[in-house]
Amino acid sequence: MLPRVVCLSGRGVRARHERGCRLPPRPDMAHRSGKVGDDDRVVISGIGMVTPLGTTVTDSAAAWVSGATAPRRRMPELAGTWLEAAEVADTPLLDLEHRFPDGRMLKYMSEGAVLGCLAAHEAIEDAAVGQRFRPERVGLFAATGLAAARLRDTLPMVVAAVDASGSFSPVLFGKSGLRAASPVLSFRILANMPACMISIIEGIRGPSYIFTPWEGQGGAALVEAWRAVATGEVDAAVAGASDTAAEPSSFVFLRQRGILGDNELAASGAGYVVFEREATARCDGLTKYGLISDVSLARRDCPPHDPLARRMGRTFAAAPAILLGLASFLRGGWRADAPQTLVSGVDGQEFCFVLEAAP
Amino acid sequence: MRRVAVTGFGVTSPIGVGREDFWHSLAEGASGIGKITRFDCSTFEVRLAGEVRQPMELPEEVARWAEADVKIGFGYAAVREALRQAQREHLGQDSLLHLGVSIEAFDPTHVIVNGKVDFGAAAERSLSGAGHSLQVPLDQCTAVVVARHGRPARALTNCSACAAGAQAIGHGFREVRAGRCGFALCGGLDSMVNPLGVGGFQRLGALTTDNERGEGACRPFDASRSGTVLGEGAAAVVLESLEEARSDGKPILAEVCGYGSTLDAHSLSAPNPEGDGAVRAMVAALDDAGLPPEAIGHINAHGTGTLLNDEVEAAAIRRVFSRCWERVPVSATKSLTGHMIAAAGAVEFGACLLPLLRSMLPVNPFLHRVGRGCELAHVTSRGMPFDGEYALSNSFGFGGQNASLVLRRYNG
Repeated sequence: MLPRVVCLSGRGVRARHERGCRLPPRPDMAHRSGKVGDDDRVVISGIGMVTPLGTTVTDSAAAWVSGATAPRRRMPELAGTWLEAAEVADTPLLDLEHRFPDGRMLKYMSEGAVLGCLAAHEAIEDAAVGQRFRPERVGLFAATGLAAARLRDTLPMVVAAVDASGSFSPVLFGKSGLRAASPVLSFRILANMPACMISIIEGIRGPSYIFTPWEGQGGAALVEAWRAVATGEVDAAVAGASDTAAEPSSFVFLRQRGILGDNELAASGAGYVVFEREATARCDGLTKYGLISDVSLARRDCPPHDPLARRMGRTFAAAPAILLGLASFLRGGWRADAPQTLVSGVDGQEFCFVLEAAP
Repeated sequence: MRRVAVTGFGVTSPIGVGREDFWHSLAEGASGIGKITRFDCSTFEVRLAGEVRQPMELPEEVARWAEADVKIGFGYAAVREALRQAQREHLGQDSLLHLGVSIEAFDPTHVIVNGKVDFGAAAERSLSGAGHSLQVPLDQCTAVVVARHGRPARALTNCSACAAGAQAIGHGFREVRAGRCGFALCGGLDSMVNPLGVGGFQRLGALTTDNERGEGACRPFDASRSGTVLGEGAAAVVLESLEEARSDGKPILAEVCGYGSTLDAHSLSAPNPEGDGAVRAMVAALDDAGLPPEAIGHINAHGTGTLLNDEVEAAAIRRVFSRCWERVPVSATKSLTGHMIAAAGAVEFGACLLPLLRSMLPVNPFLHRVGRGCELAHVTSRGMPFDGEYALSNSFGFGGQNASLVLRRYNG
């Protein structure tokens, strides 16, 4: 069953963790804030993802292991052009009304926000963050991809602003274009909104960084999260990214810039993980995904490389978190055939991590 | 841990391009807000903004990018000025570049082909090389800076809305302090003074429609405030180890000594009514600096001029500075620049930095009658002297991201 994203944090009783790890609140948690010692290492205690291969980490990992490739679809916005045969990976988002019982929030969300909230919620539930940590001691470190404004949100405004001479008219835009726009458009196009919605829905109140738009920035979110846990700035960090590269305007941009090759597939997706210190996780029996002994982001200026791209499509900002989540899930929770452990980005930066088995 | 010096500051703003003009306007209370000239806004309810009107000399390739997205020119000009003051030309393997931005520029004319809105035709034209790019990615200014000044070890683009510039500086401060980079070039850039930007914020009801107020339309903490005004611009700082800057004979403008970041987790557009996130950000920055609230001699408030935000921020400041708030002068420079969104935190870092250097506080000239719940020690007269040692800059973002920075006067 797909997890439901229930907005209860700070407003009521949080739903109990459904995966069998029913932890009592920890009375000492409020005092767990000092710097960690050298032997306090960082583990992943929760993983969530939505990818073209599956709408949960379990489904995505199972499809990966089975050798599946992403389903493809054409973009109706490009029908009738010489691009009409172009395909992107299809990331099905089914049953959203069930997964977001608070329909008001769904109205404000871009596709990137939907993907991010679903993936983050899965990771947070997996690690029972809400039951185990004070919200002020949980950080959110995220990345988002290229602008996720949907054409169906923006084009009606422009249509209403074309004058008799066929030119864009700011006067018409002010008079009738704005009326054609959704009043919540700003929430759908501001680049920080997908992560802020995670914060609001899940009740995360600690420090944050949000980066954009390429793989290196998705990697930066993970590095900053890992560091925040390792240094004791936070007790847990929710880290990851969502990207909607399969949106037609993003697809065209990626092709125009030569970022997406003829044989490459643009994909939308999201991945989130929860980092915490090993000592805490061990105490709570949550070391199933193993240790992350190092993460790094460095300029390499090598060609972009995403080990998931050939079968999953390129998810750009989301790729590092999906890769880290998938590799951790497969090693710790399933079998040792995880993919490679580095992503090189369009921005010339390489994200790399080192996984170790849990003691 | 290392002490962190500010060795360069550059700014592009509605009240001045370059730190001297910017400071002159801050001290004089000269507003950069006026009627929007960049497009015909006669049918918009909102017809005011803080536009950058001074010309900038930009290298040809930067100017080309600035034509596609005006904020890239603002950002580059600020970066260049900051690097020059810090006596640096090249980024390198010991540096961090971290710039804040908010939203991609969207040019509606690019999807109009043969007099009709036709995305498919625009896409074909774009891919055939005959048309414009349909997007300018948010890291384009970062790419321009790298192309002109070389590759840093890490280049980050932060999109934390109104807190982006402050977050970028806070992150750079932490990286230099911990010795993870030799120096950091950080800041923020933004412009939403275009039909979609102004229109989008108009639809949210966040902007004042009191257009007849002209230059005095943005009135943080005033009883008659009726919304914020969009501004545009950029600011950049160079941060490096104080010891190394001193031994290299670099100009040391001030120190950065504290940074705090929190999330409200409350609402997409409204602050937590208790000001919880803002309180925690200020407290975290003070804790990071190892200071009691009484040490702070000047606060530059986020102060947007919206009804709810100002009241909540004032209450938060009173809570954090419970024993001394009546004595801590508070400025609110959005009254002069408008709300520069992702650039705001970096520009307002400058509005705390320059008073430490010039020993005078920026004035909030359109605050005539303090609004209910907005009681603070507001700076309402020009030329107010300032000899405090520490200043605090607040940035509280749309979406609930909060960031506070603490600066220290450098006394040699």
